[in-house]
Amino acid sequence: MRRHARALTACLALLLLATTLTTSCGDDSDEVTLRVLASPELADLAPLLGDLRDRTGIRLDMDYQATADLAGQPPAAGKPAYDLAWPVSDRSFLLRLQESGKLTARPESTPIMRSPVVVGLTPETADKLRKRVPGGRLSWADIADAAADGTVRFGMADPRRSDTGRAALVGVATAAAGTGSALREQDVSCDRLRGFRSGQTLTGASSRDLIDTYLHHQGEANALIAHESELLSLNATRKSARPLEIVHPEDGMVLSDFPLLLLNPARRADYGKVVDWLLGADVQRKLMRRTYRRPVNQEVRPTAALRASVGNALSFPDRLSIVRRLVDDYGDPDHRSADQVVFLLDFSTSMRGRRIADLRAAFAGLSGADSSATGKFARFYRGERLTVVRFGGRVLQERTVTVRGDGDLRTLDRAVADGGFDDSTAVWSALDRGYRLAADAVREKPERPVAIVLMTDGESNSGMTYEAFLRRRARLGTAAQAVPTFPIQFGEADAAALKRVAKATGGRMVDANLSSLSEAFKEIRGCH
Amino acid sequence: MFHARPVTAEEPRLTVRRARRRFPRHVLVALPLALAGPVSLLLPGDKPVPYRHITTIQARMASKSDFFKDPEVRRLLLKHGIRVDIHRLGSRGIATQSLKGMDVAFPSGQPAAKLILERERRQGRSVKSARPFATPLVLATFRDYAETLVKAGVATPQPGTSEGDTLYYNLKMDKFMGLLDGKDDPKNRLDGTGATADTWNGIGFDKVGGRSNGGRVLVRTSSVCESNSAGTYLSILAFVANGNSTPGTANPNNPKLAADSVQRLSEKIKPLINLQGMWADEQADSYFSDLGESIAPVSVIYEHQYLAHQIEYHDRHHRQDTDRVLLYPTPFALTEPQLIALTDKGDRLSDLIESDGELRDRAVELGFRVRFSGEDGTSERLNTYLHDHGVQVPAQNTDETKVYEPDLKVLESIINYVGNCPPPVQDDQ
Repeated sequence: MRRHARALTACLALLLLATTLTTSCGDDSDEVTLRVLASPELADLAPLLGDLRDRTGIRLDMDYQATADLAGQPPAAGKPAYDLAWPVSDRSFLLRLQESGKLTARPESTPIMRSPVVVGLTPETADKLRKRVPGGRLSWADIADAAADGTVRFGMADPRRSDTGRAALVGVATAAAGTGSALREQDVSCDRLRGFRSGQTLTGASSRDLIDTYLHHQGEANALIAHESELLSLNATRKSARPLEIVHPEDGMVLSDFPLLLLNPARRADYGKVVDWLLGADVQRKLMRRTYRRPVNQEVRPTAALRASVGNALSFPDRLSIVRRLVDDYGDPDHRSADQVVFLLDFSTSMRGRRIADLRAAFAGLSGADSSATGKFARFYRGERLTVVRFGGRVLQERTVTVRGDGDLRTLDRAVADGGFDDSTAVWSALDRGYRLAADAVREKPERPVAIVLMTDGESNSGMTYEAFLRRRARLGTAAQAVPTFPIQFGEADAAALKRVAKATGGRMVDANLSSLSEAFKEIRGCH
Repeated sequence: MFHARPVTAEEPRLTVRRARRRFPRHVLVALPLALAGPVSLLLPGDKPVPYRHITTIQARMASKSDFFKDPEVRRLLLKHGIRVDIHRLGSRGIATQSLKGMDVAFPSGQPAAKLILERERRQGRSVKSARPFATPLVLATFRDYAETLVKAGVATPQPGTSEGDTLYYNLKMDKFMGLLDGKDDPKNRLDGTGATADTWNGIGFDKVGGRSNGGRVLVRTSSVCESNSAGTYLSILAFVANGNSTPGTANPNNPKLAADSVQRLSEKIKPLINLQGMWADEQADSYFSDLGESIAPVSVIYEHQYLAHQIEYHDRHHRQDTDRVLLYPTPFALTEPQLIALTDKGDRLSDLIESDGELRDRAVELGFRVRFSGEDGTSERLNTYLHDHGVQVPAQNTDETKVYEPDLKVLESIINYVGNCPPPVQDDQ
């Protein structure tokens, strides 16, 4: 060993004296290999890795795997299976590390490139959407709105497996919450993305898979949600029929920074060399030209396509449970079924006049007339099954539609608009009827989530008692047990009774007197 | 983060000769680098370093690695036979995690330094340390956001060289905190109304520059559990929320009451940090990057990072970067990094940092405030240097209220509450 070292030192000394680059002091045998767990999205870097090896003597052995939070990597005990990790983002990983409760040294992490998660639209879809929006600047809310009514059919990577899909999901959900800050637990307690999700037609384990699938099924989607870089690359290949128009949504985006992480501290020196090489101006320029990601080195002037403003970055939640809830609610993009909601609407005479006008406005809003951002996310969507039960002292009318188009929504609105009133209010009889409908729906399609919304403006003064209702509901069996009731308290309704039934069924009461009927209906959309 | 900014010149790997006997493997590691180019053995604009004994010092530090990464600082250290191998970690992270294998620790501020000194003391070690320079904590933002804050009545511009080009604004922290809480203040019409209250558009951002930002007024920090800047920012918030007095000083004779009041204070300021969602490391890197304004309108950084940027920018473009501007909070907090030696090798570096004139001069050129003998304050040399290099000199704040950092235990309890931080590692080296 010592002799070997002396020989090498002599070599180095020679180099020093000569200050030329011509010698070859046995570099082949000294090549270093680092095992890298990398996002599949980064396969586009492969051609540059040869340069890296030539310049630094370090070979990166890339293992491309879609992992959303580097599951199975530290802080799992034992020797790390990989020396480095190169994900799209390390946010979920860092949150997991922090929540492990142990103070483990965080791996060193260096952002290498940046790219926002954006939407690519076919030109005609982009035109159509812009015409709907005053000012023509599209937001995630507009995309969700268009997905709900069937105009937009989009592809997005699976948030359960891919960090790109996860970043997209967090971005859309943050826009849906509309608080202007990071998502909190209360913002994700109801699933506001059901309308948005109803427009998803393509998916993949990573954006790379997604784009492959899209190229083979271009007729099935007119929009892709992915990194700006992936969409620009797709456009550059000219494999797609028409280039997608890239939209940086007005309500913000999640920015990925493609960090290189050091998992094996023993390889720190090599890690440093790789990072220095990657951050050099020449390499950053090459990365930008080849992959369309934005350089982190300020000396590199972005190409024309990358000079567009990315808009405002949305904050990432500070708890992993929030992200997990979103991902769980979103479910499997390949297999899902739309919800059914049973609306039980009080049409006793006290609802006459202003109150019934409010109720009609609320339904019109949910049918697409509400142009606020939250309204666009909360609206009724294609495939959703909606039942309206008007009641007084008895059930006055029942109407069920599966939303296929505007015609179905008009049918529903007419049911709310045209009905007559009744003198008494049988709240528990109506709810009993609601549970029978719900139980039938569950039996028919067990995977379909069903919820009941009970809107009333007075106390129950006819029909069955609360206790009788509970007994009858118990007899409906498991099909009815999982169905929650979300009462909306309005006017002189009995808040205590409504809270009680919400608690008994796993729902939650909303007080419309605090805001408005429209706000109250929106607030419990997607609650389950 | 390994390197805050791309390093154009490689470090001279002259460790090889000394390492030959004891660590032959280092030769192998150094070899590919040497092959990559003999140029790497030179420092920019300088002659090759004499071939001699070099001591490598393992150093754990946070943002003050800016100093040790500077090519000129590295050259000066090599003249004294010292090379510093930087291990990056947040300052409080340095203090709460193992220091095994390190020769020095260089936390960016006093709270973390005190934690380390206390730890060393508990283990019966007395250590050398140096506090070579100081720098105030600042909030870094962009022109349109600063002007929006002026319109909202929370910031005032310092006089610039010509109309509208000042780099510096003074920020009234108490009023600013009214915008950070996410609540509509019925008495303040300038904070926006209803759902847009305390959002950038709500306070008129969309009227200032024609762009739109529906996001809340938030300050981005690094992890409060790990970083000195976030911890120091937290002490400003706590000091102001406590009516401009140091938290934990009320009821000195009743520990229960004192602890309760600190707890209430922590609860009050927690949302001001937590509404931002997840923390983000390396605020300065993001801020100075091309996408800085998209990433965060306001970030917590140190003054030296900003001044170093302006000096470099002016050298390159012969004008100031007038898009990026600073908010100087009132009250203000001065941070004092402390280089703590943990081994004999570390002692050498500590001595050198304290005594070497050239290194101290270089610190000024990198934007630090350095106290020289015969001067009243720490700003004279820096101000002269900025003036000579075409960079506006920040005005002395007329309101001299300084944030007095709370007692270490009090600050720790605030940090732990706000950040929900895991317990520290106790080294038994």
